[in-house]
Amino acid sequence: MADADALKVAALTDLSGTVETDPGRLQRYAVDGQVPRAATKANSIADVEQAQSVATGHALSVIPQAGRTMLALGMPPRRYDLALDLSGMSQIVDYEPNDFTITVEAGMTLAELQRHLAVNGQFLPLDHPRFERATLGGLCAVGRGGLRRNSFGAPRDWLIGMRVVKADGTSIKGGGKVVKNVSGYDLPKLFAGSLGTLGVIVELTFKLRPLPASDQIVALSAPSFESALTAGRAAAQAAPFLNGCVVLSAEAASEAHDLGAKILHDQPALLLRANGLESAASEVLAQGLGAAREAGLDGPERTTAAIVETWQAVVDLETQTAADAVRLRLGVPPANLSRAQQALSQALPEATSWTAASDSGLLFVEVPSIDADTIKSLRRQLGPLQGRLTVESAPTELKQSCDIWGPSGPGARLMHNIKEQFDPEGILNPGRYVDGI
Amino acid sequence: MKTPTPLVLDLIDAIGEEAVVWHDEDLLVYEYDGTIDRGNPDVIALPAGTDDVANLIKIANKHDAPVTPRGAGTGLSGGALAAKGGVIIGMNRMRRILNIDAENKTALVQPGVVNLDLGTEAERHGLAYAPDPSSQRACTIGGNVAENAGGPHTLAWGTTTNHVLALELVTADGEVQWIGHDTRDEPGYDLVGCVVGSEGTVGIVTQALVRLVPRPTAVRTMLAIYDSVRQASNAVSAVVASGIVPAALEMIDKMTIAAVEPVLNTGFPLDADAVLLVEVDGPESQVEAEGARVEGILNRFEPREVRSATDPEEREQLWAGRKGAIGALGQIMPNYYLLDGVVPRTKLPDVLDGVYEIAERYRLPVANMFHAGDGNLHPCLLFDEREPGATERVLDAGGEIMRLCVDAGGAITGEHGVGLEKRDYLPWIFTEADMDTMKALRAAFGPTENFNPCKIFPKGHGCGEAGHQHAQHQIAKFGPKAFV
Repeated sequence: MADADALKVAALTDLSGTVETDPGRLQRYAVDGQVPRAATKANSIADVEQAQSVATGHALSVIPQAGRTMLALGMPPRRYDLALDLSGMSQIVDYEPNDFTITVEAGMTLAELQRHLAVNGQFLPLDHPRFERATLGGLCAVGRGGLRRNSFGAPRDWLIGMRVVKADGTSIKGGGKVVKNVSGYDLPKLFAGSLGTLGVIVELTFKLRPLPASDQIVALSAPSFESALTAGRAAAQAAPFLNGCVVLSAEAASEAHDLGAKILHDQPALLLRANGLESAASEVLAQGLGAAREAGLDGPERTTAAIVETWQAVVDLETQTAADAVRLRLGVPPANLSRAQQALSQALPEATSWTAASDSGLLFVEVPSIDADTIKSLRRQLGPLQGRLTVESAPTELKQSCDIWGPSGPGARLMHNIKEQFDPEGILNPGRYVDGI
Repeated sequence: MKTPTPLVLDLIDAIGEEAVVWHDEDLLVYEYDGTIDRGNPDVIALPAGTDDVANLIKIANKHDAPVTPRGAGTGLSGGALAAKGGVIIGMNRMRRILNIDAENKTALVQPGVVNLDLGTEAERHGLAYAPDPSSQRACTIGGNVAENAGGPHTLAWGTTTNHVLALELVTADGEVQWIGHDTRDEPGYDLVGCVVGSEGTVGIVTQALVRLVPRPTAVRTMLAIYDSVRQASNAVSAVVASGIVPAALEMIDKMTIAAVEPVLNTGFPLDADAVLLVEVDGPESQVEAEGARVEGILNRFEPREVRSATDPEEREQLWAGRKGAIGALGQIMPNYYLLDGVVPRTKLPDVLDGVYEIAERYRLPVANMFHAGDGNLHPCLLFDEREPGATERVLDAGGEIMRLCVDAGGAITGEHGVGLEKRDYLPWIFTEADMDTMKALRAAFGPTENFNPCKIFPKGHGCGEAGHQHAQHQIAKFGPKAFV
């Protein structure tokens, strides 16, 4: 064993990217308390190809990463030899603004991309926590829609092309640079949302949208989170073209406030966002507000000019979980949101920080602690409501005693087949994804 | 008198005599789709439900018979053809809309539901099903899922893949499973994203849960008439660049107008070189303001006229001209070959010039009616297959037009699929390693030899279709090298 380990470390010195083996410095690459043997910082696709080729040759398990904003998500790794750091790959590869498409390296942050695009009046319609750090490769690997998914969808909906380095170091592409394309299988859909278990995303091409002429947020205070939730549903139904319809508990509002949101401290709130031409945004917002008021929210409304700061603070709540606390994420058809929330609330009396998107049935809740049995029983209750509960972040001990992803659905067989085809040695993010993948 | 083979007998045993078609004269209708190629199935099986489909696939596998799924047969890449004979599983009997959930904006449908029927049903609930291929009066949701179908209104809303939430799928090994989730919250790989657009090569969809979208409160459709295609395509680029995302942005050229106008009386002027159909929708105030801005842009490119329709009847009339265009082309020549290339939007004017140049060089009339806003071209080469050498010229010209799109940084299909027809051209865009990765994905869904063989990937054995030979001409001419 010792010989094999020595061989592995020796192999790492062949890597073309910068290699880090100092145990102290490797601490920053820890995942669920596990520190890799080495980290390598790739500066090019060739570096990634070589890293994967060496990793395959020596059966090193690899966790690709860059902004490290979402590494709390996932089961503890079964093995962790090499941190493959892509944060050095952050260039624009190809951008023709009038095509409304852009190709970038995977390590570019979402905020950086948006700044480049804004110069040309464009943007990528995605929300993500900590967007100054979160990279496009990372957020696509996680692949989920955020609080505005009702109108924005998920990364999959904007990705039109991708270059990926496979487990064995071969670089391949899927999709292309055109906005409509059915030439060959849609590989970008496969890699988006695969949590780095099938390949290392190195380049991405997105279709883009024009920045709206006007963007408006209005906040309404509510007597309780539950009443805000009801009003949120009413608003979402009356104004289906809202760009955002988010409900915060008093605690969540305070946290968002402290992160820079221009909303009232310690008051449950309904946040409505609309954009487009100014008159249209106002029209949509008025529809939503009217319905929320009819549903019982009669407090004063507050608008803010600090749109981006306010919204981002709310989005950032997702990654603001206290170190020993647990954050749960629930996705449920929007009509079932209130019922699902009640089930959670009864089982989790200590939960105070709630965030929900009323228009798309997405809910986050933070609890000081929870045990594996409660999670199981909640999943049983939420099943008939088509609710899917995942443990977003939790102390490693809890992850060891429960499946954070939940019982695998009927598609698990196919997922294992895919994993076997793409990473037969099981070196990419081993054990972190669903059903032990 | 033809005697039933053991395969046919097993199929009859499984789903009944009336649901199995095997007499030669009855098979004829299943030999064609919307392309030039044809296939010769041995037998057609028409399942009534999911279990039937699973049984049929298992029976075919037992007999080593190729399986080809088929919807309405409106496909334009040979995808529904039984390239190596065997069993065609026709989904037309599974045509029920099972549920519309208006509050959650979803619809659960069987694969044989006609696209327009779903749209009409959704409309009753104040909703819409966004993908609207021009063949929507005939094409089915199952086929739409297979091809990742688009349509004029995907400019704003995206193609089929953006609208499918979950699928019941019978894989190539005959296993049934649900994949996906009502709100896309099933953790794990995006299996639905892999299946949509896989052209029926990994399994057969037996139920689909799709997303419905709210209907806009106001709509305005504009018709801009131009004396040159160049001016019209420059206007397209300007609208796209302006930061407005129209609901649809379509171009129709002179040849198409000549075919459409006498039949449909849509009001397109016969002597115009090109017309643009531009639609904006949304809240009343938005439509008013955006409509005015679009009109201003269209006017910058010296149109002969810009007309505007807001009442449903007038709008319907304009759209009839676009959606009925293909059917009307029969007025000009007995056969057509409809291509489907995509290019980056800024390349559209040059690529269009190239398309006309190629058609002229091959002495073929060409009609263009296409999704200009997406950069998705549909050159339609007109010919008479009875004229010796005409089909060959059409295929050669088609290959050259595909190459033109590839060289412009585009792709060989935007919404019709690679199918049988364009598989030889796939290496123009993808390397061996890229294609091997796709094949690895396919292998995860079960045995690949006999399930919808000869589609998408080049070099299938025993597929022997007509187009294959001609694709070789073009590949020899331009080289097989991958465009990377």
